[in-house]
Amino acid sequence: MRARVVLLAMALVASVSAPATLGAQQAAPQQQPAHPAALPPRQANYAWDQDLLRASFSYRDVMSDPSLLKKMASGLPMVIAMRAYLFQPGQDNPVALAPRVCRVAYDLWDEVYRIHVSEHERERDQAAVLDGVLRICTEARDLPIVRRGALTPGQPYFLGVVVDVNPVSPDMIEQIRRWIARPTGSTGIGPTDALFGGFVQLFVRQIATSDKTITFRTQDIVP
Amino acid sequence: MSIVRTPGTVGLKYTLEGIQVRGNTTTLSRVVLRYVPFHEGDVLDVDDPELELTRFRLLGTGYFRDVQLSLRRGTRRGYVVLVVDVVERNTIVVNNAWLGLAEDVAQNGNARPISAYGGAQITETNLAGTGIALGGAFAVGDTDQVPQLALRVGLTDPQFLGSSWIARTELLYNSAVQPSGNHDVLVNDPAHASGPFTDYAITTYKRFGGTIGAGHDLGVSSQLFLDYRLEGIDTTLPLAGSDHRGTAVEPIDYMLDSGTSILSTLRVSFVNDTRDDPFLPTRGHRLEASYDLSLTPLGSDYPYSRFVVRGAQWVPLPWGHVLSLNVFAGGVFGDAPLFERFYVGDLSDLLPDRVLDLAFDRRPAPNVLSTDIVEIRYGNYAARIDTEYRIPIYRGTRSVYGVDFFGDVGLYGLANEQDFVDPAPGYSGFARWPLDLTFNLGLRIDTQVGGFTFGVSNLIGLIPVRGEQSGAVRP
Repeated sequence: MRARVVLLAMALVASVSAPATLGAQQAAPQQQPAHPAALPPRQANYAWDQDLLRASFSYRDVMSDPSLLKKMASGLPMVIAMRAYLFQPGQDNPVALAPRVCRVAYDLWDEVYRIHVSEHERERDQAAVLDGVLRICTEARDLPIVRRGALTPGQPYFLGVVVDVNPVSPDMIEQIRRWIARPTGSTGIGPTDALFGGFVQLFVRQIATSDKTITFRTQDIVP
Repeated sequence: MSIVRTPGTVGLKYTLEGIQVRGNTTTLSRVVLRYVPFHEGDVLDVDDPELELTRFRLLGTGYFRDVQLSLRRGTRRGYVVLVVDVVERNTIVVNNAWLGLAEDVAQNGNARPISAYGGAQITETNLAGTGIALGGAFAVGDTDQVPQLALRVGLTDPQFLGSSWIARTELLYNSAVQPSGNHDVLVNDPAHASGPFTDYAITTYKRFGGTIGAGHDLGVSSQLFLDYRLEGIDTTLPLAGSDHRGTAVEPIDYMLDSGTSILSTLRVSFVNDTRDDPFLPTRGHRLEASYDLSLTPLGSDYPYSRFVVRGAQWVPLPWGHVLSLNVFAGGVFGDAPLFERFYVGDLSDLLPDRVLDLAFDRRPAPNVLSTDIVEIRYGNYAARIDTEYRIPIYRGTRSVYGVDFFGDVGLYGLANEQDFVDPAPGYSGFARWPLDLTFNLGLRIDTQVGGFTFGVSNLIGLIPVRGEQSGAVRP
């Protein structure tokens, strides 16, 4: 039960509205890659832990921008949210989702990064220096993906991965849009009587849904 | 400083030693601090969502191109300073630009084929870094010796004296020419007409005055405003004039008092807006309601009250298009001045809208349904219902945010009390219902400098199909 609650919280943080249980049959289509097979390829290592498929891969390049490293040292939290969807080639609906959320903040007085990692059935807190943060937060090691029973033997599968830095939740975006959607006056019927209201909306359309997003796919694995 | 672990957080808490604003060369620091809900001595939880909201609130002011929050060490262990780095931007905005073609009148009351009109509304949204908006607007018509000009200047303080109240004030000046009648009038007008028979009776008037008001947010999506208006009107009317109304000849109601008159009103207005986008909404609704009461005990020469309700609902369709339904209804009770009445051009897409209360076009309704609406240019009762279908063509994130093709079709009505109790003679059956169809299609373009609508209906309206007054009944 606790694992479900934790995963639910992770999913909210990661802007994932898909059922975040191992072996989920369906994920929210607006959040997953639209054409996963066409994503740029990246190497992953697969391993079977009894009947549980685990994967290891790196997405360290999501933090290659120096401004993001500077922002991570700002003292305020940074979220690195990774979602690995398991697909069958030729199909756009995933058969499983493995999310991993890393929340990190620089402790100004102890001069270390405080890290909180959430993934399936596991949460942990750590303290690390920068190299440790990058290792913990931008590398998936033995990430639990799916149990063998949910897969069709002999069929290939691959992971479509989305990584967001500081994703903005849909609720937050909705709230921002409501702030900016102020009255703009008459647009056709009657005189223009709200002349000087509503200029703000002109400026804030470019608010992105995250500070940075990368996507890639892994090579196939055949169970 | 303390670390308190709760699921999904890093758990760092500090004591806030102060707040530092950097990068603001024009905007006053106190204006920035209005949007920061933290104070010296507060316990600052780095996981507090208010920190993220603060950044978006500051971006939402429109004063800044970028806003970043960070912490730096304070002077004592466990204390921090919240640093707000801002990058300012140009805050001068073109709110509206108007350019169009109309059919108007010459000084002697005769019809003119086509003339141009235009105007613009520009606002400095962060005046001298104070957060106060200063706006100006003008509209002018290419008239034949008879000037039509409208000017506006206004101030809006979105946080009046640092409070949660919105304060606004506006000055207005209009010099207007109003053609009355429906072509071929009989008039005694030494000031304008060269003979008793002319196309239109000419009324000229000047307005000068202003409004002052206050508003308040009622939650995230709603606002309530209260505005007081006072203005003087100087009107020159023909000595006498009559016109056809159906097969009857009736005196012209100019809807203005001759000479100098005073208009004093109180308006309360409410807006509820849940649209997801102000220019190209795909979901949500917008509801506006207002009520004006002319304050005759305080010297207003026009005893009337006026209500307006309008609503719109946007619905996304599964295939990515957007459907919207728009309704409008309004009523004037009493003797409102001309510019407070409902105008056919504001209801029909086939005629130019009024701009800053100036009507540049002399034509009646296009009268697609051949009813007696052709007899009515200004009315005390109006309603319209229309639906719009939008097809997104382009979406971007830089200078052009979106381009949509739209098609709109609607039905509207415009009437005075007389049209209910004594319809225009010569009309019968359905023709006694002052209704008409309207339509438009074109492009809506959302850009960094504002939204633009390019519709073809106004041009279609200039094409004479069945003559000057299609469907009008005359003796």
